Amino acid sequence: MGEPILKIRDLHYAYGNGTPALNRIDADIYEGEKIAVIGSNGAGKSTFFLNANGVLTPDRGEISYRGTIINKKNLKELRKNIGIVFQDADNQIIASTVMAEVGFGPMNLKLPKEEVLRRVEEALTYMNILDYKDRPPHYLSGGEKKRVSIADIIAMKSEIIIFDEPTAGLDPLNTQMLEEVLDKLGSEGKTMLISTHDVDFVYRWAERAIVFSQGKIIADGTPLKIFQSEEILKKANLKRPTLMEVYDLLVEKHLLEDTKAYPTSTQAFKEMLGNM
Amino acid sequence: MSTIALKGEHWDGHTHGDGINHRHHKIRHKHGEGSSIDFYAYASNIRDWNPAFKVSLSMLTLVLSIVLNNPYVSLAVIVAMGYLTIIEGGLSIQAYLSILMIPISFILLGTITIGIDFSTQPIGQYNLHLGFFYVFTSLAKLKIMFFLMLKVFAAISAMEMMSLSTPSSEIISVMQRVHVPKLFTELMNLIYRYIFILIDVNIKMRNSANSRLGFCDIKTSWYTFGKIASNLLIVSFKKANAYYDAMEARCYDGDLIFLEEDKKVTTLQIAKAAVFVSFLMLLWGFTR
Ligand SMILES: Nc1ncnc2c1ncn2[C@@H]1O[C@H](COP(=O)(O)OP(=O)(O)OP(=O)(O)O)[C@@H](O)[C@H]1O
Ligand SMILES: [Mg+2]
Repeated sequence: MGEPILKIRDLHYAYGNGTPALNRIDADIYEGEKIAVIGSNGAGKSTFFLNANGVLTPDRGEISYRGTIINKKNLKELRKNIGIVFQDADNQIIASTVMAEVGFGPMNLKLPKEEVLRRVEEALTYMNILDYKDRPPHYLSGGEKKRVSIADIIAMKSEIIIFDEPTAGLDPLNTQMLEEVLDKLGSEGKTMLISTHDVDFVYRWAERAIVFSQGKIIADGTPLKIFQSEEILKKANLKRPTLMEVYDLLVEKHLLEDTKAYPTSTQAFKEMLGNM
Repeated sequence: MSTIALKGEHWDGHTHGDGINHRHHKIRHKHGEGSSIDFYAYASNIRDWNPAFKVSLSMLTLVLSIVLNNPYVSLAVIVAMGYLTIIEGGLSIQAYLSILMIPISFILLGTITIGIDFSTQPIGQYNLHLGFFYVFTSLAKLKIMFFLMLKVFAAISAMEMMSLSTPSSEIISVMQRVHVPKLFTELMNLIYRYIFILIDVNIKMRNSANSRLGFCDIKTSWYTFGKIASNLLIVSFKKANAYYDAMEARCYDGDLIFLEEDKKVTTLQIAKAAVFVSFLMLLWGFTR
C-alpha cells in the first residue's frame, strides 16, 4: 500500500468551553481510499475533519501530509490538498454569484485568472450546474446549493475530499446524483472521506469505515467487519445495513446457506438468490 | 446602499406553508422590497453591462440632475432612466413603479411643507379654511414644490437604474476599484451575504414560535420577540464562526478576493452616454 498520504498521530482537541471533542485519534489515510466516517451525533466527526484540514489547531498530536509534518508555516499546503464540503452549504457559500463562489478557493490559491475561470467551468460542468453560473446562490434551493458547495471543492483540485454529511436534506434524486459524482470522483482516484448516518450507503460505497464514539475512534476496518461486530454497533449506536439484516433473516429461516458471504449490493444479492 | 436596505416585512414566511410550489416565485418577491431589488438586479437584461460604466453613469446623472436644478433636465432624466431600466433592462412597469413609489411618502412629506403654509388670516393666492386656521399657497410655491419633486424623482430614478441592474457584489467591487477602504468593502460583501442567512433563520424561528402559539396575545408576542432577537444574536455569532471556518478551509488568508467576469464597455455605450450627458447640458442651457 505504500506510505499514507495523511498520517494523524495522537490528536487531541477540546473546544473553548472545555468539551473534549477528540481524544487520542490515530489514523492513516492512503491514496485512493474510500472511507466512511460514522458515529452518533456529537461523536466528533466534524471536529475531526476540521482538524484534519488545519482549520482547527489540535491541542496535542501531529498531522503529516505526504511525509511532511504540518506546522503553522505549511498549514496552507494542508488546506490546499484537503478540501471539505461542509455539512451546511449555507455556512460555506460566501460569494454572491455561483461563479464567484466556485472561484473563491482557486482565487485564494493565487492562480492566474484564466486558470481560475477554466477550473470554475470544469467544476460547474462536473456538477451539471453550468447554467447557474451567473445566478446568486442565495436564491437556489437546498439541493442546488449543495451542488455548488461540492463544485467549490472540485475546483480546488485537492487530493483528498472530505464530505461532511453530504446526503442530509437531499431528495432521493439528488442523493443518487451525489452518489454518481462520488463514483466519478472515485474512478479518478480521489481519496474521499465521508461522514454519514446512512449505514446502507456506508455498506454499499465504502472500502473502509472509521467509527467514532465520544471523541475516540473505536473501530477502523472494512464495513463488513464493523457491521458484524455486535459490540461496536452497540457502542456507537449503529444499526446494521438492511442487506445484512435480510441475509441473516434468510439464513435464520434456512432459506439461504450460511456462508457469511454478505452481498454488498442489491445486484449481488439478486445473483446470489438466482444461483439457488 | 439601497440594495441592502431591508424593510421589516419578511414575516410572510408563513405563506410558504401553503405548499403550492408554483407560487413560490411570486411569494419570493414579497420578502421585503430590499431583497426584491436585489432579485431584479440579477434578472436585469443590462446586468452584463460593465458595472463601472453603470455606476458612473448613474452617479453622473444623479449629480447633474441635482446641480443643474432644472425641471426639464429632471424630466429628461426620469424618462431616460426609466427607458434604461424598463425597455433595456426588461423590468416590468408595475415593478418599476412600485419600487419608485417606496419613498413617495417621504418625498410628499418633505416637499409639501415647501408648497403650503399656515396662517390665521385668509392670505395668499389660494387658501383653504380649516376650522381655526387657513392653509394657503401660491402658484409660484406650488411650482417650486412640483419642480423639487421632479428633481428628487430624477435622482431616485438614476439610483434605481444602477441598483436594479447591478448586483451588490459588482457595485462593491467598483467601490473597491475607486479605493474605498478595504475594510469597508469586505464588510459590505459579508453583510450582504449574511443578511439572507439571518432572514432565513429569523423566518424559521418565527414560524416555529408561531406554531407553538408564541404570538397568541400581545404580551406573549413581546416576550417571544425578545427571545427571538437574543437568539438571533447568538445564532449569528455561531454562524459567523462556522462561516470563518469554511472560508479558512478554502485557503482564505485575510484577503477577500472574488472572481469577476470582465465586462467590457463598448464604444457605442460610451458614445451614447456622452450624447445623453451633453443633451442634458444643452437642455439646461436652453431652458435656463
Ligand atoms: N463550536 C463548538 N463549540 C463548542 N463545542 C462544540 C462546538 N462544535 C461542536 N462541539 C461539541 O463537540 C462535540 C463533537 O461535535 P461534532 O460536531 O464534531 O460532532 P459530529 O460527530 O460531527 O456530530 P453530528 O453527527 O451531529 O454532525 C460535541 O459534543 C459538540 O457538542
Ligand atoms: Mg457533524
